[in-house]
Amino acid sequence: MSSQTIIDPPEDGHFRNGVATNGLTPSPTTLSLHLTINGRDHALEIEPRVTLLDALRERLALTGTKKGCDQGQCGACTVHVDGERVLACLTLAAQVEGRSITTIEGLADEDGTLHAVQAAFLEQDAFQCGYCTPGQIMSAVACIREGHAGSDEEIREYMAGNLCRCGAYPHIVAAVRQAAQELRP
Amino acid sequence: MTVHDMKHAASDSARLEAVGGRLSRVDGPAKITGAAHYAFEQQLEGLTHAVLVGATIAAGKVTAIDTRAAETAPGVLAVLTPDTIMALKGASDWFGNPPALSTYCPLAREVTFSGQHVAAVVAETFEQAVAAAALVKVWYDETPAIVDLSDGKAGDGIPIDAMAKEWGDAQAAFAAAPVRICAAYNTPREFQAAMEPHGLIARWEGDELTVWEPSQWLDGMARTYAEWFGVPFENVRLVSPYIGGGFGSKALALAHSAVAAAAARMLGRPVKLVLNRPQNFTSYGGRAATRQTVAIGADRDGKIQSIVHRGVNETAVDGMWVEPLGSVTSIMYATPNFSSKQNVVRVNTVVPGAKRAPGENPSAFGIECAIDELAYELGLDPLEMRLINYAEQDPHAKKPWSTRQLREAFAAGAEAFGWAKRSNAPRSMREDRQLIGWGVAAGTYPVRRAHGEAVVNILADGSVEVESSSIDMGQGTYTILAQTAAETLGVPVSQVSVKLGDSHFARAGVTGGSRLAGVMTGAVHKAAGQALDELIGLALSDPRSPFHRLQANTLVVKDGRIASPRGEGPELSIAELMSVVGRERIEAKGDTLPARTTPEERYANYTTIAKSIPHTEGDYSRHSWCAHFVEVRVDEDFGTVRVSRVVSALDSGRLYNPKLAESQWKGGIIMGIGQALLEEGIVDRRHGRIVNGNFADYMLPTNADIPDIQTISVGIPDPHSSALGGKGVGELGIVGVAPAIANAVFHATGKRVRDLPITLEKLI
Repeated sequence: MSSQTIIDPPEDGHFRNGVATNGLTPSPTTLSLHLTINGRDHALEIEPRVTLLDALRERLALTGTKKGCDQGQCGACTVHVDGERVLACLTLAAQVEGRSITTIEGLADEDGTLHAVQAAFLEQDAFQCGYCTPGQIMSAVACIREGHAGSDEEIREYMAGNLCRCGAYPHIVAAVRQAAQELRP
Repeated sequence: MTVHDMKHAASDSARLEAVGGRLSRVDGPAKITGAAHYAFEQQLEGLTHAVLVGATIAAGKVTAIDTRAAETAPGVLAVLTPDTIMALKGASDWFGNPPALSTYCPLAREVTFSGQHVAAVVAETFEQAVAAAALVKVWYDETPAIVDLSDGKAGDGIPIDAMAKEWGDAQAAFAAAPVRICAAYNTPREFQAAMEPHGLIARWEGDELTVWEPSQWLDGMARTYAEWFGVPFENVRLVSPYIGGGFGSKALALAHSAVAAAAARMLGRPVKLVLNRPQNFTSYGGRAATRQTVAIGADRDGKIQSIVHRGVNETAVDGMWVEPLGSVTSIMYATPNFSSKQNVVRVNTVVPGAKRAPGENPSAFGIECAIDELAYELGLDPLEMRLINYAEQDPHAKKPWSTRQLREAFAAGAEAFGWAKRSNAPRSMREDRQLIGWGVAAGTYPVRRAHGEAVVNILADGSVEVESSSIDMGQGTYTILAQTAAETLGVPVSQVSVKLGDSHFARAGVTGGSRLAGVMTGAVHKAAGQALDELIGLALSDPRSPFHRLQANTLVVKDGRIASPRGEGPELSIAELMSVVGRERIEAKGDTLPARTTPEERYANYTTIAKSIPHTEGDYSRHSWCAHFVEVRVDEDFGTVRVSRVVSALDSGRLYNPKLAESQWKGGIIMGIGQALLEEGIVDRRHGRIVNGNFADYMLPTNADIPDIQTISVGIPDPHSSALGGKGVGELGIVGVAPAIANAVFHATGKRVRDLPITLEKLI
C-alpha cells in the first residue's frame, strides 16, 4: 500500500481543483498514483474517491472490466489483485498502488494464446451477451487456483458471486470443469 | 473480426460452418479477451459525465429545485432542470403514431412515478457529477399515489377491446360442464435486469448526432432522436456494436437518452450518461404485474368444453402498456367455447415494457397451471391431460399450424426425463426430508416476421463483408450471418466479417419477438446470392477471365475457389478472379421487401413496428413450441424450493446454429426459474417506491441456483415461417417454465401456489 495520506489538502492549502466547498463535503484533491496493471506501470492523477473500476474504464481505456452494478453485487468488475479475485467497484484505485493488478486484457499470453479458461468459455459457449464474461473468467481462474473447482457442486457455489442474466450458468460450470482438468498440475 | 482457431480438424470445418453447424461464436474471442468495446465504452476527447436526480415521490408536482450548491461544486458544467433543459419536440411512438404533444421535456415537473428524472448534473468527471447530483435539492407537492394493482384506489381499469377473443358460448358451456375449475393467477412486477446498464454517449457535430448506446433497434431509436431534435433521420447515427443483454428493455430511446443528447447539444461537448443500478429499476419498464382468472369446464373424460379467461395488467398513469394475457390461453388447447377479456389498470409506475416473451409468458402461467389443476380434478396424468386436448389446428385463427412439433416435444421430453416413473399423487415422492415433485408445462411463442435487408460485399482479397444495422445482444447474430453468407457464397467463415450495430449500415427493424434470425438470415441469403450471381457473371462474361472461353452456363464456388461444375478447366480463388478482371469489390444489397416498396414504406418498415407481418397471415398459423419437464425438491420443514432437474424439448423449426440456440433456450429456462422462485419488484406502500431495486434484493438466479438443464430440439424446417426454415428461439425458452415449476411444487407438496414467486412462506 501507498503511504500517501489521501485526505489532507496540499501544503499550499489550496485544492488543486481550485473551487471552494460548502464546508460539508471537502473538495477532494488529486493523487499521483502508479498502478501496475497486467505487468505495466500506469501513472494516474486522480481524486482519492476514484474506484479501481472507474480508473480502469474511464482513465486507462481498459474497458474489459465491466460495470454491472457498481455496488459489489454482480461480480462483473472482478479483477485480480496479487492473484486474488477482488471487486474493482468496491476498491479504491489508491488502495492498490504497489500491488499487482490483472484484468481480462492481461490474461492471455503476449502472443495472443488464450488462457485455458478463456478457451474453455469459447468452446462451451459459456456466455451470450458477454458483459459478465470478463468477471466470470477472472473469477473462474481464481476459483480453480483456490482449489474450488473439484466438483460441479463446488464450482456452482464458488462461482455464485458472478451473476449472468443471459443464463449461461450450466455452460460456465462446464467451462470451469474443463479448464480445471486442463490446468491440473 | 477474427475467427478463433477452434480445436477441430479441417475436415470438420465445413460441417461446423454450414448453416445449422455448431460453430462457436465468431464474436467470442473479442468478448473473452476484453477487446469487445460495448457502446458506451467508446473513448472520446472531451467527454463529460451526466448523473440524474430522481423524484423521491410517486405522484405530485415539483415545486422548486435548488441547484446552487450543485452548480458551484467542483467540475460541474451544468445543472439541468425542467426549466433549463433545452426544449425538444414530441416524437412519434413505435407504431409511428404522431405524438400527442408537440413538445417533450425529459425532466419532469409533474411526477407520476418514483425515480422519475427531475434534474441532471453534468461535470468533467463521473465522480464530480455523482457528488454534485447529491447536492440538488428538490421540493414537492406530493399527492396520493396508486402504488400497485392491489391499491384500493386502483379500480378495475380500462377494457382493451382489441384483446378480447370470443367463440362459441363460453359462459354457458362452462356452467354446463360436469367438471370445472376456476382459479386466479398472479405475477409480480419483474425486471429485465440486463447486466449492462442502460446508458449512452451522445456527441453533436453541427447538426449531426452520434449516439453510442446499447440498442435492440438502431433505426427506431435514431428516428426518435431525429424527431426530438428536429434534424433529418440521416443526421443521427446510432452505434451499438455489442449489447450487454436487453431482454426487451433496450429497444427504445428513453427519457435519460434525451437528457444526455440534450446536454451534449447544450454544452457542445460529448456527454456520457449511464444509469446506476437502482435507476435501472425505475427509468424504464419491466414486465407489468398481472392478474388472471382462468375457468375451465370439461367432460368427465377430460375433453375441454370451455375456457373463460379474464386478465388485468398494470400500466402507467401517463403511458399505455398492454401485456397480452390471452395469447397462449387462446391457442394452446382445443376448445369449442372460449372467452378472453383484458383490462389495464393505471398505477404510479414508469411505463411497463417488454420483458422476454411479453404476453405469452404470464399467459402461459395461467393456462398451464389451470390445465394441471383440471388434470388433478379429473385424476388424470397432467401430460395425458394435455394430449387429450391437443389442438390440431389454431383454435382461434381456425387455420392449420405451419408446423407444430409439440406432441413430439412432449414425447421426447417425457422419455428423457423419465416421466413414466412418476406417481401422480401429490406428496407421493420423497427422499428423506425432501419432497420431490415432477411438473410439466408447455410453452409457445408466435413467429413474428418482418422484411429485412443486408449488404454483402466481396472484396479484392476474396474476403466478404456483411453489413447490417441489426444487432447481436448474445443471440449469435454475428455468427449465424457469417454462416449464412459463407454457405451461400461458398467461402470459409474465416473469410467473412460481419459488421453490425451501426445505423449507417443497411436498415434493420427491431430485434425483438425472436424475429431477427429469420429476417436477417433471409436478407443475407438474398444479398449473398446476388453477390454470387454477379461474381459468377463476371467470371463468365469478362473477356479477361479464364472462364470466359469455357462457354459454360454457370460456375460453382467452394472453399473460396471458383470452378466449373464438372471440375474441368481452370480453378481460381475469388481473389485471383477479382485481380484478373480488375475489380476492387462487388457490392450487393438484398432485401425481402415487396416489389415497388416506396422509400416512405421502407422507412416505416425499419423505424416502426407497424409493418410487422402477422403470424396468422395467409394460410397458416406460425408458432414455436416447447414442453418443459421439471423436478423440484422442497424441504419439508423449511419450505425451500430447489429446482434439481430440467428437461425441455423445443420446436424452433430449423436451428441455424444449435450450439447458440441451446444457449438461448437454457437462458430462457433459467430466467423462468428466477421468475418462478425469486424475482419480485417490491413496492413501498407509502411512497410507491421500488424498495429492492438492486441485485442483492431483487434476486436473480445465481450459478448455485441452477441445475443441469437438458434441451432437445424437436423442430423441423418450417418453410412458411422464414426463408431458411427457422422459427423463434430466444423468447420461447422461458414460456411455460414458471407453471412447470408451480405444478412440480404442487406435486411435491400438495399446495397450489398461484402467486409468483413461490417463496417459502407460501409453502409453510
